[in-house]
Amino acid sequence: MRSIRVPAATALAMTLVLALAACGSSSSGSGNSGSGASAVSTGGFQSPTTQALTGGKRGGTLVVLNESDFESLDPGVAYYNVDYEVVFATQRPLYSQEPNSVEPSPDMASGAPEVSSDEKTVTVHLREGVHFSPPVNREVTSEDVAYAIERGANENVANPYFQSYFGSVEGAEKASGGPIKGIETPNKHTIVLHLSEPKAQLVAHALVLPLTAAVPREYAQRFDKNKPSDYANYQVATGPYMLENDAAGKVLGTGYIPGKSATLVRNPNWSPKTDFRPAYLNEIDIKLGGTKAVIGRQVLEGTNVVENELPAQSIVKLAAERYKSQLEISPGAGTHYIAVNNKVGPFSNVDVRKALWAALDRTAMNKARGGALVADVMTHFLYPTIPGFNQAGGLAGLKVDYNEHPEGDAAVAEKYMKLAGYPSGKYTGGHTLVVVGDRGNPLEQDAEIVNQTLKSLGFTTKFTLVEPNVMYGKYCGVPKEEIDVCPSVAWGADFPDPQTVLDNTFNGKSIVSTGNNNWGQTNDPKINAAMTAAETINDQAAREAAWAKIDDELVQDAAAIPFDWDKQANIEGSAVRGVGDLWDSGEWDYNYSSLK
Amino acid sequence: MTAYIVRRVLWGIALLVIVCALTFVLFRVFPTANPAQLRAGRSPQPKVIHEIERVLGLNKSLSTQFFDYVKNVFLHFNLGYSYYSDESVRSLISERLPATISLTLGAGVLWIVGGLGVGILSALRRHSLLDRLAMGGALVLVSAPEFWLGLIALFLFAQDIGQWRIFPGAGSYVGITSDPWQWFTSMIMPWFVLASGSAAVFARLMRGSLIETMGEDYIRTARAKGLAERRVVRHGVRSAINPIVTLFGLEIGTLLGGTVLIETVFNIPGVGRLAYDSITTADFSVIQGTVLLAAMFIIVANIVVDIAYAYLDPRVRYS
Amino acid sequence: MSAGAAELLPPGGGGFEFLGLGGDIAARSPLQLFWRRLRQDRIALASLAFLVLLIAVAIAAPLVVSLLGLPGPDVQNLNLTDSFGSPLGPSLAHPFGVDQLGEDVMSRIIYGARVSLEVGILGTAIATAIGVVFGTLAGFYGGWVDTLLARTMDVFLSIPILLLGLGVAAACSVRGCAAGLIQPGLSVIIFLIAVATWPYMGRIVRGLVLSLREREFVQASRALGASDARIMFREILPNLAAPVIVYATLQVPLNILFEAGLSYLGIGVRPPTASWGQMIAAATPIFNTAWWYMVFPGAALLLTVLAFNLLGDGLRDALNPRSAR
Repeated sequence: MRSIRVPAATALAMTLVLALAACGSSSSGSGNSGSGASAVSTGGFQSPTTQALTGGKRGGTLVVLNESDFESLDPGVAYYNVDYEVVFATQRPLYSQEPNSVEPSPDMASGAPEVSSDEKTVTVHLREGVHFSPPVNREVTSEDVAYAIERGANENVANPYFQSYFGSVEGAEKASGGPIKGIETPNKHTIVLHLSEPKAQLVAHALVLPLTAAVPREYAQRFDKNKPSDYANYQVATGPYMLENDAAGKVLGTGYIPGKSATLVRNPNWSPKTDFRPAYLNEIDIKLGGTKAVIGRQVLEGTNVVENELPAQSIVKLAAERYKSQLEISPGAGTHYIAVNNKVGPFSNVDVRKALWAALDRTAMNKARGGALVADVMTHFLYPTIPGFNQAGGLAGLKVDYNEHPEGDAAVAEKYMKLAGYPSGKYTGGHTLVVVGDRGNPLEQDAEIVNQTLKSLGFTTKFTLVEPNVMYGKYCGVPKEEIDVCPSVAWGADFPDPQTVLDNTFNGKSIVSTGNNNWGQTNDPKINAAMTAAETINDQAAREAAWAKIDDELVQDAAAIPFDWDKQANIEGSAVRGVGDLWDSGEWDYNYSSLK
Repeated sequence: MTAYIVRRVLWGIALLVIVCALTFVLFRVFPTANPAQLRAGRSPQPKVIHEIERVLGLNKSLSTQFFDYVKNVFLHFNLGYSYYSDESVRSLISERLPATISLTLGAGVLWIVGGLGVGILSALRRHSLLDRLAMGGALVLVSAPEFWLGLIALFLFAQDIGQWRIFPGAGSYVGITSDPWQWFTSMIMPWFVLASGSAAVFARLMRGSLIETMGEDYIRTARAKGLAERRVVRHGVRSAINPIVTLFGLEIGTLLGGTVLIETVFNIPGVGRLAYDSITTADFSVIQGTVLLAAMFIIVANIVVDIAYAYLDPRVRYS
Repeated sequence: MSAGAAELLPPGGGGFEFLGLGGDIAARSPLQLFWRRLRQDRIALASLAFLVLLIAVAIAAPLVVSLLGLPGPDVQNLNLTDSFGSPLGPSLAHPFGVDQLGEDVMSRIIYGARVSLEVGILGTAIATAIGVVFGTLAGFYGGWVDTLLARTMDVFLSIPILLLGLGVAAACSVRGCAAGLIQPGLSVIIFLIAVATWPYMGRIVRGLVLSLREREFVQASRALGASDARIMFREILPNLAAPVIVYATLQVPLNILFEAGLSYLGIGVRPPTASWGQMIAAATPIFNTAWWYMVFPGAALLLTVLAFNLLGDGLRDALNPRSAR
């Protein structure tokens, strides 16, 4: 999933078969090893893989300070980490993960999904006795889950991943918010998805996404008629918490004041008997705005306060030096790499791409991001906690000469430039590169390092820094703009399956005219074919091996230039016993955190 | 006199419409982005973009869009809706306006008091150490970039990150109704920083103006007649103050349109910051709403000043 | 930006009287008197010297930097940051410290002078030229020409220029606009400054010309049959020179601050070009720990702007011996 600020990675299963625990237990971290999560160093600090999930004290109010406002709190739209911590405290998708686990647990579902032998049908049984929050109050039924998924295709809702993961459901391609043929609800507590292609594995994995959180049709329909839908401002909850609302159900103005605050209170209709979450806190007050440097100080020097986004670099340093017990490092928070135009311009030549890969000083890039504590040198495109990571080479990656020296290797770079047809080892063509980077800190610094590296290869550049959503929305995500280098692109999986890391970003078929996430416009027919084949592999081990091989091929093609495997640092106040979600960059989970 | 006022006000309204049109054209001809693209950017489907454009009315001809907009604004006071938060622009602005007004009015008070006070004192004690220090200090304050002064102030005095933890730091603004004390203390530094440049200007101007006035014949006559010095000074100040008042009106007007720098540094949720955010995300309706508001303040201030001038100097009315 | 208006609009609105020119014929020419008065103003002279030095340093920046033994302004060196990526502070090798990329701050400040001076001087020059042209035409011809031009100036003055500047600069940020005429970076800022500030000069010149028009020497010239153009060029413009220079000098620091403000907001010269405002912006997230990166560029701005202000003050005082001092 393309990430604007931080990717919302849901690092999940590496298990061979989707053997799901019946009811999430309080087991500590398990099953992380194959995906490389444990190989990643967290500097000796608290990490989601090592934290205890139970034993918290009930009660209290947690204050959350966040510089960024939410993108969308509508469960059918929410797509970024900044939204997830609220959405996953108030909404219950069919499946979700415990904070330290890579295995999905049944959430609204009562058990594992049943996949038919032809891989074309997914059946999920729902829990009974789960109710919506006021003012709807009634029990959740399969109809509500069906409507939740169907509204994703409604143009007033415009769910960003509907086609990617639910497009194979019969009738989904033509859907526009009305009933979908392939979604069947034989009874009040069963939902069946009929697929037109054998992609049940992918769809079953995708059931952790918030689109599957129940939405009451009779209540939400009138909001979904508005352009755009404002259901978010009137939403009801199924989780332990709800956004504070008035008697009519309006959240805007009380539970959510855009740009200012959000308030989560206990959902009176939530029953702990139907849920694996402890829900210790009584209330969560989220305050938006401020600057990260100041917020960081307020959190570290405070008591019952946390920050639920990536802190400022100086704050991470401060915490690592003086507030060690209040810092948490979470591996697998996503990747950052440099997208170069594979289609037109100098970088359409694979040797030029390899030259840039060799020339780039990846350790300097990571130092500018905050050092080894928060960034690992990226050597290939799958990242730690994603199944297939180890098969693709683990931390070291593929052994090719341009990948060998993370500090940059001018000699190898020169070699490839010469191979590309520039005998002097430096670019001599007349094209001025258009480079568009992200203005934020530290992406800005990384972009400047890339700019310098390009210059050292003999290029002249037109280098601009813009706001991230403009960078993606107007320049890098629009193939027609023919941007040569996008040094600040980031990606995180929607859920831990290698397809979600590589397909949207490197498949030639994924190229679209706007909102394009295959920023480099990689379009190698062999790789495309391999991806198409790998999409429908349902045996876990074979699937991982196939996608790992694709990762290798992408490295050999130098489709993009990697530099950073993110580890997100998160900070808490001294009185907070924070529990972070491994699948969401370690950000604090309101359902499990408590006060000391 | 009334004829003059009417003429002035009519021209003011015309100005507003012109500015409205200019802004409209400017931001459509030089769009910072395509808002439909940005908004649909999360969903990689071109048909969605077209739909959003249709929904937002962006596919109609420019002139249709403009007339619709002007009609809405001037007849219904409806400034449209933000493309991102779906809130009405009017409510977005009215939420943020109190902060900007707090900032500007507080700074305005400081200008007057500080600027005039220092200016008068300096004029009366010409060439003294106080005078030199004051004028020197004023000059320095005028020359420093205000956002830099703000950062220095935070660096020295902010409670959370400063060297001497005195005042609340950036981002601590609250509305006057929710916590008056917090509101007041969080605004002290922004007020001083914002006022410093202008107060310094006023001080210098006041000093010059007063010195000149005090050299006039009628002042000498008043003194010769035995009038108390204090009364003499008051006479002098009263006539010296004319240009200052003019300037104050103009400054306030311009300032209300330009607080974005201070609001950024101190993280005050005001209209300036709203304008800046909306510009970078091409949120057209919000941009136009905020620009229109800023222009309105400038125009109104100009009208008030002109009318005051016309009142004081009849020659102006007939120009 | 707004503070500047006060400096430029003299009390009373731009009449010619306060400048004290004309009237009794002096034994020496006004220009000579002007120089004599200026030479006696030591502060103004010191500022002039400082500015000349600054301009020289800016022009010869590469030479200065190498003489001081500093690396270039774009030379990145991540070894000068600690293991968390925080930059190191002032030291012997780097007297003003380094920034987050290890670039030397002093070197960047020296090169940054180029941007500030170029924008300030060039932008002001263009705005002045436009303002003089339109102001002269408006004041000289009067009537509908005057009304049209005065109204146009009104429109420009009513537009909140900072906001519009942000819009234009942001829009033209990657590839430029208007078919490449407006390129991102310096030219956008200069263009903005010219567009935004010419009305100030225009208004002042208009007022000056209005007064001048009625003077005896102009009347005489007209009686002798001189054409409009000749009168404008031979009689009016030379008398405008002095006040225009004064106001232009006072406008330059405002434009420098305007550029700094725009750079601070992220619009302006593109990295890695050093600009003082941009350096302050880059320093903002870390200024509580890396103060040097914020303080020194700001001090540079302060000194430069101060020098222009003092010089402008001195020029104005030299021009008007009756002004209170």
